[in-house]
Amino acid sequence: MAAPSNGLAFARALVATNVKGALALRGAFVLQVVFMALNNFTFFVFWWVLMRRVTTLRGWQIGDIQVLFGIVAAAFGLAVTVAGGVRHLGRFIDEGDLDTLLTQPRSVLVYALGIRSQPSGFGDLISGAIFIAWSGQVSWRTLPVVVAAVVASALIFVACGVLFFSLAFWLGKVESAARQIWELLITFSLYPEPLFGGLIRLALFTVLPAGFVGYLPVRLVHEPSLLHAAVLSGGAAAYLALAVLVFDRGLRRYASGSRFSTFG
Amino acid sequence: MTRFIRRYAAFARIAIAQARRERAELYGRAAFFVVILGVFSSLWRAAADAGLPVAAEPRSLVWYLAATEWIVLSAPPIHLDIQEAIRRGDVVYQLGRPVSYVIAEFASALGLLAFRAPLLGLAAFLCAYAFTGWIPPLGALAIVVPFGLAAAALLTALFLWTGLLAFWLQDVSPVYWLGQKLMFILGGLMLPLTVYPEIVRRIAALTPFPVVLGEPASFLLKDAMVTPGALVRNLAIWCCMTALALGWIFRRARVALTINGG
Repeated sequence: MAAPSNGLAFARALVATNVKGALALRGAFVLQVVFMALNNFTFFVFWWVLMRRVTTLRGWQIGDIQVLFGIVAAAFGLAVTVAGGVRHLGRFIDEGDLDTLLTQPRSVLVYALGIRSQPSGFGDLISGAIFIAWSGQVSWRTLPVVVAAVVASALIFVACGVLFFSLAFWLGKVESAARQIWELLITFSLYPEPLFGGLIRLALFTVLPAGFVGYLPVRLVHEPSLLHAAVLSGGAAAYLALAVLVFDRGLRRYASGSRFSTFG
Repeated sequence: MTRFIRRYAAFARIAIAQARRERAELYGRAAFFVVILGVFSSLWRAAADAGLPVAAEPRSLVWYLAATEWIVLSAPPIHLDIQEAIRRGDVVYQLGRPVSYVIAEFASALGLLAFRAPLLGLAAFLCAYAFTGWIPPLGALAIVVPFGLAAAALLTALFLWTGLLAFWLQDVSPVYWLGQKLMFILGGLMLPLTVYPEIVRRIAALTPFPVVLGEPASFLLKDAMVTPGALVRNLAIWCCMTALALGWIFRRARVALTINGG
């Protein structure tokens, strides 16, 4: 069994290779980064227009929404930059593309996640940082808290992606459905928490954890406390553990694609 | 002419048959209606509580959103298939067929649209009714449906154009996302364009987005943005411009492919 430090070094090497690969096509890379950042700012125009007409929405002001947007965008960017393979996991499973990874002396899940990187994730990261800075609600002192919140949120994004796309082990071709569920997670996490109540709120902290992706990190940034930090990190650990468990269970059912191919 | 139509109708029929077998995505999109209309009915209530003038009629806005989302979700994301075909090199085999690649892809997408639009329309109707407990005048609905279908077809052609950019960009997702967000604002996906500042409305008028979303859906509001006649004219203009843009970009793509290889 490989030592955890080896696993981390392997993951780092995968990310470095992916980034180098992305930078090799420099024009396409820059275009993707810029377009993604523009995309995020364009979406925010909706909130800008709305909040010009109403200053608070159930207690939320424009700055709060900027922090929420910033954390979710940066977390999503981090997730798809470091573990971009998560978006392709359903296809890897359904089309038997995991064959090549099974013969490697490394964790199949880590390899599958790190094998791709989404250059546009850098655009999310940059725009996320700008949204957070623009909100005026973060100081240099609270910066470590923001970074921790973004990392925890990114881990939950990846864990949820693994969970949703791993359904392909049991259900076959579910890539687009899994992708849509993953996008629902993003959709919900971009709207202020007080809009949701009752059963929906319960769902947003369990089956579709937008609460852990967006609302709790925002609360941690607004009111840094050990309790909020413990709940958020506990949530991230729990979703990650569940994702690994489900993937490992699924891998036992995995049917080879009988492919002879190289991966990369 | 009949032979031409028959040939491409076959692509549409095959796409419909495939869509019938793979309904997961459709169910996902129908579920999205529940989510997005639920979120926005809650958002408009909150906005009305906070005193947003346009939200005096939150139920009309929910129906407006149901119509715009119906158009967006009915248009198949054809750019993803085209991008994948280009990345894998499969496009080279498709270009060798004795049919136009662009028209064949568009015909397949229209087949998908014909399958999805009625089911998603029903989902939109039921969700909007469930969240508002109200149905707009039937006359308005009768105008929105045909214009919505025509707008979804135009949107599909715009997705096709986006997909062809993969000949140069490899990954067209950022262009798609940017186009989608521009559509949100300049098309008036969530908020009618009348709420936006004058400058945004002026810029929007130079793009196809209001024709695709806001104008057809605005028949569900108290004051429509255009008359049906003006919308017919606008749709015709943008359909012609999109067809020209498609022809131009595909010719350039073929040249690039011939020079650089598949």
